[in-house]
Amino acid sequence: MSDPLEDLKNSKLNAPVNRRYVLNGILGIGAVAAFGPLLAACGKSESSTEAATGGKIGGELNFIGYSGEDAATVAKDFLTNNGITVKPTFIATADEPLTKFKTGGRGQLDIISDNKDFQRSVLSAGEELYQALDLSRIPNAAGLMGAFKSAEWLTKDGKSYGVPLIWGDEPCVYNPDKWDGVPAKYTDFADKKFKGELVMVDDAVANTWLWAKSMGISDPSRMTQAQLNATIKEMLKTKPNVVTFSASLGDQADVLVRGDASIAIGGWAYQIVLAGKKGVVLKSASPATDGTFYWSDSYGIAVDAPNIDNAYAFINFMMSPAANAAIATELGSGVTISGALDELDAATKGLYDYSMVANAGGVLSTQVVVPPANDEGDIVGMAKWVKAWADFKLG
Amino acid sequence: MKNSAAIRRLLLPGISLYAIFFIIPLSILAVYSFWTQIDFKMHPGFTLEHYQTVFMTSLYRDVFLRTIIVAMLTALIVVPIAYILSYIMQFVFPSKARLLLNIILISMFSGYLVRIYAWRTILGKEGLLNTALIHFRIITEPITFLIFSNWSIAITLVGLLIPLALLPIWSSMSNVSKDHLEVAGDLGSRGFQMHRTILIPMVLPGIATAFAISFILAAGDFVVPTMLGGTNGVMAGNLIADQFKGLAPNWPLGASLAICVLAILIAIQMGFMKLVREVTRL
Repeated sequence: MSDPLEDLKNSKLNAPVNRRYVLNGILGIGAVAAFGPLLAACGKSESSTEAATGGKIGGELNFIGYSGEDAATVAKDFLTNNGITVKPTFIATADEPLTKFKTGGRGQLDIISDNKDFQRSVLSAGEELYQALDLSRIPNAAGLMGAFKSAEWLTKDGKSYGVPLIWGDEPCVYNPDKWDGVPAKYTDFADKKFKGELVMVDDAVANTWLWAKSMGISDPSRMTQAQLNATIKEMLKTKPNVVTFSASLGDQADVLVRGDASIAIGGWAYQIVLAGKKGVVLKSASPATDGTFYWSDSYGIAVDAPNIDNAYAFINFMMSPAANAAIATELGSGVTISGALDELDAATKGLYDYSMVANAGGVLSTQVVVPPANDEGDIVGMAKWVKAWADFKLG
Repeated sequence: MKNSAAIRRLLLPGISLYAIFFIIPLSILAVYSFWTQIDFKMHPGFTLEHYQTVFMTSLYRDVFLRTIIVAMLTALIVVPIAYILSYIMQFVFPSKARLLLNIILISMFSGYLVRIYAWRTILGKEGLLNTALIHFRIITEPITFLIFSNWSIAITLVGLLIPLALLPIWSSMSNVSKDHLEVAGDLGSRGFQMHRTILIPMVLPGIATAFAISFILAAGDFVVPTMLGGTNGVMAGNLIADQFKGLAPNWPLGASLAICVLAILIAIQMGFMKLVREVTRL
């Protein structure tokens, strides 16, 4: 098994939402060891595969998405048994599949793995990237939990454009030797007692959203310029207490493990597991008043995908309870398939509160984190958020 | 005529590579800097808007200035160290020169990121340096500016760039015979004067190359500032990189920033060369 910190070192400049990158390989072997027999059974499940593909699979499968979500370890037997060779392209930022699609990648992409806010933006903007899915070819998707069935961020005009693979949240992760918990509000981090103790991820959207929420803005994704300015002004009060803007969630964990900071804002519960492997005890909690936000990554199929049968077969396999449990365990995330819950060990299961995704709707559907792509009247779009964050960093 | 044709043929592969890997990409960058980008799409046209943004934004000017200071500081530390090391290798322990060179260069065999993380281990609040200083009771509290500051950027860049700067200087110095220095000594040129009037002019091309490598790589680096720069360590490389990623990329602005940084670096490099020539002429 590889060293988690070695993987953290290799995580380098991946995007803040790219928590999977850090974990690629950390628990892969362990996950396969634990789920191996079940995965092998799923990999050989001819009836399921044929339902998904019509039995015409084999050859290449082009994957673009977060590292780890190509499931190289989890799906190894399935791919070998079916003669499929995955050609992965790993992304650092959510927009890369669209950029690649628009710059000569059309007709060369099969599976796209990306986060819900990007998928929501692409679909609402009417950007051509994802094709509508034929869910009859993904029979295992019937096992999706309530919040992920016909997920609102993946549905347009009654058609589904993706199936959720994993989910999670972004709590504060702290060192219990130094702190009993975290304050009730993000704005409380401006207190001088936190000087030199905080580490934030270099993420324009996540941090701005959390602070706006803390300031009482009901839907931070739809702020006016004045609200955005006020949010940044408030954030600047906390900046002197922040030691660094980490390049990724893995890097953020590294800063905590080394003792250069003791509270990660907008962190990830799995950082606790990573730190534990280095003998450092961390805990997670979200500010009681403000809470945090939730994310989910899904598989979609690109328009003009050249290996569509392989894509459907692969997605269907990954929606099997064993594969879903294995990938969630490997990536320190929540499962999306009901049956996968029974396959999880207590530690992985305990990372998230599954009651909040058991039923349709819920916070994953209603909570929008990313602002509109462009200004909408008084509502400022993504470019202004990015500029505001840049001003915050330089200010 | 025959000769010049032969020379042209010989130069062709080099010029082709230079054109493919430098001139064409740079030209594309220059063209992009006049375009606009909306919703991930590039729109051809001609606008000076991005250059205006670069010149009119005071925060960008501050970042440029910080970049130049940090890069200059780095290069001004790296080059003398590389020069001294080269001198020791060439004239103090000539029989061990290869061994010393290999020892210094071996650090480059580890990955760039691994070396950066190694510096984090050294400079951290609970890192090797602070632990050692506390252990020997030189300090009682960890020195916090050692990490996540402009100092940590410079220190790390110095550590990373010394092996690269050493190569051109040592290469130049290895062509200087010890006899030259002995003759200079016999004629009364010793110590610093010998270096200023004899050795430095003889290895000037190597020094210039080492400075260029150190300064340009330091000014363009965005990984070290990201990993060790802290909240006030944004450098020009970060500004540029930020424009090419995320959900609201602005390639034209990134291209404008890159062109401006390039122009500044070329101007500084030319100025440095002029200065060195003047000093060694005195």
